[in-house]
Amino acid sequence: MTLAADQWPAYAEPAAGPAGPSDPRQRSGTLVVWRLELAKLRGQWRVRAIALMCLVGPFVIVAGLNVQSATPGDTAFGQWVHTSGFAIPMVILGFGGQWLLPVGTAVVAGDIFSSEDHFGTWKTILTRSRSRGELFAGKFLAALTFATATMVLLIITDLLAGLLAGTQPVVGLGGQLVTASHATELVVVSWLSVIPPVLGFTALAIFTSVASRNSAVGIGVPVVLTLAFQVVTLIALPAWGQQVLLSTPFTAWHGFWEQPAYVGPFLYGLLTSAVWFTLCSAAAWLVFRRRTIGGAS
Amino acid sequence: MSRRLAAGAATAVITLLTLTASGCGSTGLTAPRLQTSLSSTFANLYVLQQTEQGNPKPSAASLKSQASCQKGGTPDIPQDGSGAWLCQITYLVAGPGYPVIAKYNVDVQTDGCYAADGDGPASVNGSPTIIGPHYAQLINPLSLIDGCFDTT
Repeated sequence: MTLAADQWPAYAEPAAGPAGPSDPRQRSGTLVVWRLELAKLRGQWRVRAIALMCLVGPFVIVAGLNVQSATPGDTAFGQWVHTSGFAIPMVILGFGGQWLLPVGTAVVAGDIFSSEDHFGTWKTILTRSRSRGELFAGKFLAALTFATATMVLLIITDLLAGLLAGTQPVVGLGGQLVTASHATELVVVSWLSVIPPVLGFTALAIFTSVASRNSAVGIGVPVVLTLAFQVVTLIALPAWGQQVLLSTPFTAWHGFWEQPAYVGPFLYGLLTSAVWFTLCSAAAWLVFRRRTIGGAS
Repeated sequence: MSRRLAAGAATAVITLLTLTASGCGSTGLTAPRLQTSLSSTFANLYVLQQTEQGNPKPSAASLKSQASCQKGGTPDIPQDGSGAWLCQITYLVAGPGYPVIAKYNVDVQTDGCYAADGDGPASVNGSPTIIGPHYAQLINPLSLIDGCFDTT
């Protein structure tokens, strides 16, 4: 059976009366899908693995640093990891931020649409009483929720691990000594500043998931793009060329630790993330809205 | 089909960016920006170094530190962009008549962050550690300087 995009039953509300525009069940359709998707995510082993990594990862790194005297010297704050605990979350962000965070969100967002293709379940869920828009919004929101929730979790565990390692003042990137209270703020603000590009990567993975109908491609393309950005970054691009890349906003936090602090790269990064997010979401919706469900693909 | 589409789109984006790379526009990684950042960061870290060694604390401003940087060590190549720069920082420790020159090999990254590796004099930035009070071994803050400047 083939359900063309415009012919599938929009509201097959079972014996619940007419579904008028004022019906609260209809308006909350997105929320229903969102809740259902979150429940499905909670059951996935990779979601649990990522959550576990966010929970214990920073503490494992602190423990690892404690038993050796070497320092990760080739990254900002690297030489200070044994002097102040505040250096540790920043080394993690500088070292892993550009790689791990996009991959972490892509693992979920790159699969959330194409898994329905994999299991052949589009026909089943689209014949329910949820519209295509509600399904799209609900799934999209679930992926964004996962990305934001893991980031918040990671900020908390990173900061706690840092505080546990030591609250001595840390040397900022301007050579100034940063007191414990100010350093706490800067750690949190720096980590918060990478949430916009993470959400940009989420939208990108959603798009590749919708367009490819294949989870390996949905997850793989954002991961490969992350690597490609790293290579392109090494080229002597003009300043605006660097700003176009979705990887650049991940480094904007450096400015917060300077003296005087500067936020130019962060503001440009917000714009870059917003443009990527908007373009990818719009493209994903256009592809999803027009696709034929149930036919030979 | 869609797989080829995605791969094609990615290739197109990268090719476009690479093509524009060689073209117009500054990288924002200029000598004045690097010099301003390095000289003030050096001054702050010099104060830290003196304090940690138990010496009288100078003020960062009194050092009147000034950096002079050249990419690749020669003015022949364009003085703009990431890569290896050579910097000399002149600062006044014991009055205007006694300038000291500290040298650094600076690796500038495309995001405006740099790692400056001390290249003499040995007593200032040569050793990775310094001796603090009670013979404690401390990191020499002037041996490796991490800093960043705004490229926007």
